Amino acid sequence: MIEAFNLCKQFERSVRKGRKTVKEEFFAVRDVSLRADSGEIVGILGPNGAGKTTLLRMLGMLMTPTSGEIKMTDVSGKRIDTLTEKKGAIGYLSGNTKLYPRFSIREYLQFLGKLYELSAEESDKRVKEIIRVLNMDSFADNQIGKLSTGQTQRASIARCLMAYPELYILDEPTLGLDILSADAIIRFMKEQKENGKTVLYSTHYLEEAEVLCDRIYMICDGRIAAEGTPAQLKERTGSANLREAFHAVYDSASAAEN
Amino acid sequence: MKKIGILAKKEIMEILRDKKTLIIMIVMPMLLYPTLLIGLSLGMAMIMQSQMENAHTVGYRVGDEAYVDLLKDIYEENKEELDFELIWEPMESGGADAQLWFAEDADGIHMKVTYSSTDQGSDYTEGALAELAELYREKLLRANLAQEGLTEDFLYPVTYKSEDSASASESMGFNLGGSIGMLLITMILLGAFYPAVDVTTGEKERGTLETLLTLPVTNFQMIMSKYISVSLFACVTAVVSVISLGGSVLFLMFGLPAELSGEMGQIPVGTFLSYIPMLLAAVVATAMLITAICMCFCIFAKSTKEANNYMTPIMLVIMFASMIGMIPTVTLDYKMSLIPLVNVSLLIKQVLAQQVNWVIAGITILVNIGYSVIAIWVIARMYDSEDILFTDGFHSFRVLQKRSDIRPGTIPATGDLLMSIAILLLGMIYIGNIVGARSLFAGTVVNQIMILAMPLLITWYMKSDVKKLFHVNAPKGKPVIGSLIFYVGIYLIVILASAFLSMLFKESAQNVGDTFNVLVQQPIPLVVLVIAVMPAIGEELMFRGLIYGSLRSKFNAGRAILISSLIFGLFHMSLVKLIPTALLGACLAIVVEKGGSIFVSMLLHFINNFISVIGLCYPEALEKVLPFLNRDSFSVAEAGIMLVVAAVCITAGYALLTHPQRARGETAAK
Repeated sequence: MIEAFNLCKQFERSVRKGRKTVKEEFFAVRDVSLRADSGEIVGILGPNGAGKTTLLRMLGMLMTPTSGEIKMTDVSGKRIDTLTEKKGAIGYLSGNTKLYPRFSIREYLQFLGKLYELSAEESDKRVKEIIRVLNMDSFADNQIGKLSTGQTQRASIARCLMAYPELYILDEPTLGLDILSADAIIRFMKEQKENGKTVLYSTHYLEEAEVLCDRIYMICDGRIAAEGTPAQLKERTGSANLREAFHAVYDSASAAEN
Repeated sequence: MKKIGILAKKEIMEILRDKKTLIIMIVMPMLLYPTLLIGLSLGMAMIMQSQMENAHTVGYRVGDEAYVDLLKDIYEENKEELDFELIWEPMESGGADAQLWFAEDADGIHMKVTYSSTDQGSDYTEGALAELAELYREKLLRANLAQEGLTEDFLYPVTYKSEDSASASESMGFNLGGSIGMLLITMILLGAFYPAVDVTTGEKERGTLETLLTLPVTNFQMIMSKYISVSLFACVTAVVSVISLGGSVLFLMFGLPAELSGEMGQIPVGTFLSYIPMLLAAVVATAMLITAICMCFCIFAKSTKEANNYMTPIMLVIMFASMIGMIPTVTLDYKMSLIPLVNVSLLIKQVLAQQVNWVIAGITILVNIGYSVIAIWVIARMYDSEDILFTDGFHSFRVLQKRSDIRPGTIPATGDLLMSIAILLLGMIYIGNIVGARSLFAGTVVNQIMILAMPLLITWYMKSDVKKLFHVNAPKGKPVIGSLIFYVGIYLIVILASAFLSMLFKESAQNVGDTFNVLVQQPIPLVVLVIAVMPAIGEELMFRGLIYGSLRSKFNAGRAILISSLIFGLFHMSLVKLIPTALLGACLAIVVEKGGSIFVSMLLHFINNFISVIGLCYPEALEKVLPFLNRDSFSVAEAGIMLVVAAVCITAGYALLTHPQRARGETAAK
């Protein structure tokens, strides 16, 4: 389970004001509190630039929040404290987490096995199992740089799996994939949920989120604009589907802004 | 530690699978040295040989046959010594390699040669003719002498003969040494460059950096593994270069006919073998340093193209430093051994000239390792920064932004400090030394102006709050007195430390003394201005103002004092002065920290340097007032007394210094 309290992330950006370029501080994420329990798929929705990736990077321990706190516990409820332990318990996947193109999937997984301090037999067993589960036998020994998009994405999933993480943080995992590969990923998330793991994921495909997510956070301009189960969100906005609910939430959020 | 090993293994695999890197690192040095060395010397030898073997034609005017026959006779007489062959042909214009004219009048026989210095054959023929003319002249002279009944002593009442005590191989090593050092450093640079870009920028560009960050490893483990693998590659390149270079030399020695290898055949292989462990250590230290420098800059780049842009000036600076070894007058002494890379280039020159000073060699290696450790520390810190990992990462180099982008009140960051120190050092090494070569005094003035200008320029550019950063506050009575007493205590310890250190490093201490003796030949007010007043202002603004002020905004007082005083000590580029200067720097930093005013530290700095000036200009007078100042050895009892006095002064002074601060704090609390 992961729980975040009042997360903020401040950045600097250059703004053109007349002739001068001025440095300006702004919050990419402000005051976000959220939680995702074991056995739950939680969706993070929001337009581009809303702060989803920054939020997920903070939750994935890649970035330190400017302020706020993140707590993690494993399935048995034990606190996970150190940064390295937290990183070991998270499977983080985004468009930016590419794999070494000059390695093969098998080599890469074996390298991870060593880093996660698995014994040689344990590591071998896990690598074989993952390759079988994700149906990668035909290309497990090819260089990753030569694989297709769908194959690469499966390889990335394999990377996350290698640690047997408690928590999956997936930033737009189905982006740009064909129907077969996307379905494989969705199936994978469901399986992990059934195994009692936590899945936190962001997406632009609302139909997908509507059927998959137990709960959804809608992010707008770095803040949480709405949260709840898909049913609750639809009910609150009086919409027939999540797409309409999304529009309703953002219209009222931008109205509040002005 | 285990994780570093696993990561390093991965990095090495990753680099090894990039064929381009392999070619640059291993194939290129293997081909470059043999091609350069063997090719060049073979080529030269062949050109020489072909010149010798080819007969060259000399054209002469019809009617000059009598003179030509004379020259031909002389050639026949001296055939054994002469290694050229000439064909004589009567012709008026063109066709011949050189054209010869004869004229005879009351003054004697005049020979005139027209040739072209740009034509090898023609140039060579001219040389041959000059030799013949010389022989002709001597022959006539001898004939004339015999006629007058004189011996050769009449012509040569004084004879001169010189003998070079350096063996042929030593002098060749001296002449070649500089360029070999440069080649070696260049090879290490090439070996480090591609892997360094690959593991830092390449990782960003391929998008694998974020993946790496998700792994359960600390940033330190990550950067260390990268550093270790890149330095390993740099070392491999260096070792391959050395082997390839050695192989080429061996080939020249044994593989070539004796007359072509020339002096190369006399190199004492045994002597060089004994240097190999030391050379290897030097190569490894250099590889470590160059790798660290490369990685420091590559980290900022977002793409390999950008990395190449950053690296070009760095490569030029490194190449330039390595070229200093080629200047014949520059040799490795204590001072030079502190300049990274330059010292390695000079060390290699020493090795090839077979004049190794083992102490200096040791210092050279340690100095390079020391600088690498500093650079690694910088990299490790930078790699902890999200700015560098996720954005363009110019936050630790704020000064590189456009001035209009800088917000008023910006405090210089660590990168800015490092850069300003590096620029100052380079300025002092190159500009200061060049001016100093003409006039040591002028060199000192130029250095002092640069030291003064640097903090002013940086704080102006960065729009820093000068009053706060530099501690520009009116001094208060009590802290000033406290500072003075505190300083006296420190000064006693500095004297003791200097005496102890000059016992250890006699040669270097002598050197420091010489420099000052030259300086004090100027008029006294000028000396006071340059040695006491200018450093008091400039160095205080730089070290206690810019550096200490910026460090203090980041670290606690203890760390800021430690770092700033170490920089202050290192900055004086003298091994003997390092510890005493650092002590003094710490003292001045404490005074600024506790007393709150930079003017007090300026005053103390002035007093400190003023005493040195007096000591140099009026040694007798100073001897009377402060008899212990200029001594370089103390008995145990004397040292003991001085230590006790010093301890009392330091305690009392420190108490006085800190006291008012506390009182002010209390009133503020009320």
